[in-house]
Amino acid sequence: MQELSEEQRKQLEEKLKNMSPEELRDFQKQQCIFCQIISDKVPSKKIYEDESCVAVLDINPAAKGHMFILPKEHYIVMPQIPDKIVSRMFLVARNLSQVLLKVLRVDGTNIFVANGLAAGQRSQHFMIHLIPRKAEDGLLKIEEKLLDQEMLKKIKLAVENRLNHVLGIKKEVVTENNVDKVSEEELEENADDTDEADEVEDKEEVEERKEKSEEPEKKHERKKSKGEKEVSLDDIANLFK
Amino acid sequence: MKCEYCDIVDRKSRLQILYEDNDLIVAVKDTVLTPGQVTIFPRQHFTIMEMVPENILEKCFILANKVGAAIFDSLECQGTNIIVQNGLSAGQKVPHFALEVIPRRDGDNLNFQWQPKELAEDEVELVYQMLKEEVGKIVKSKDGKKGKVKEVEEVVVKDEKTLMKMQKEDEKNYLLKSLRRIP
Repeated sequence: MQELSEEQRKQLEEKLKNMSPEELRDFQKQQCIFCQIISDKVPSKKIYEDESCVAVLDINPAAKGHMFILPKEHYIVMPQIPDKIVSRMFLVARNLSQVLLKVLRVDGTNIFVANGLAAGQRSQHFMIHLIPRKAEDGLLKIEEKLLDQEMLKKIKLAVENRLNHVLGIKKEVVTENNVDKVSEEELEENADDTDEADEVEDKEEVEERKEKSEEPEKKHERKKSKGEKEVSLDDIANLFK
Repeated sequence: MKCEYCDIVDRKSRLQILYEDNDLIVAVKDTVLTPGQVTIFPRQHFTIMEMVPENILEKCFILANKVGAAIFDSLECQGTNIIVQNGLSAGQKVPHFALEVIPRRDGDNLNFQWQPKELAEDEVELVYQMLKEEVGKIVKSKDGKKGKVKEVEEVVVKDEKTLMKMQKEDEKNYLLKSLRRIP
């Protein structure tokens, strides 16, 4: 990100506010290095390309052969991407995984997706990482621990209802306590924000937080109450500072 | 009853299952990295990703996208990770293809970041050329098939038996490589 003076920042903000959605999209594309890679304005090591996606070798690889698959359209996070393109990209990832296994003679591959800064997303352009793996290479250490049964019930309740809603299934999961949200304090290890606990009860505030966390969902029914509002460039830019 | 995930499919208790359809199951495992982690896997037993048929794989990832969105809303986390551990050295613990959807928050002490490796230029160039070549071959053979559909079909019918034999052998070799011991 470029360093801007106060004045330059204000000018930029004004400019952005007056842009139409198409102009904003073009502006985003200009700022996005991955869009520039896709359009060959910036040199890169492209392994594969088709109508909807591109596979490129990572210049900061976790291992030899590490590549990522990008959608040609500029999307920031996965929920924004239409199903057709999601399935296309992951099929390409699967086929390229097979190529990696054959060519590099490794015995494993990881597919890694990060949605959101907290998940380790490092760029504003959505990507699927495909990483070849060898035993004891020290990457992506996942140490699992036993899940408490009480926690399992709460999670099931919270997620299942939401998932049914997203998938359009009319089914309500009910328990004696009628709790439909997991309290954040129980899930968070460092509960330092008392504000967050309040937000749990307030749906309106939850939607605001959602926008700040840069995951706009266009098909989301709850959005009806707030209208079709897209995440502003400022919010996204602020997160990446 | 081939593995832990097949057990979940067969299990009478549906406590762990969040969603299921004809092809896929969305469930919460006994051991997780962080509360809220959800696993999606096909009902049918496939060891690794390369063995899963295209239509099921597509459904898997489309569902993963929706599950990610559901987790993000319901657990009010700040991000999600989707991870596939394909093969023993990739951390695959159960010999049944699955993908993990993991909720993330600031300060959750989970670190999936990697240190970028310094690779020699010629090494990188070599890998690039090798991968490009292999991809080129695959794309060509697929294009070739499109043009000569009838001929290819006849050939396939004749050699189906040998094809199946070859596929089984490839599968075995791969299994031997990536799965050392299955309890």
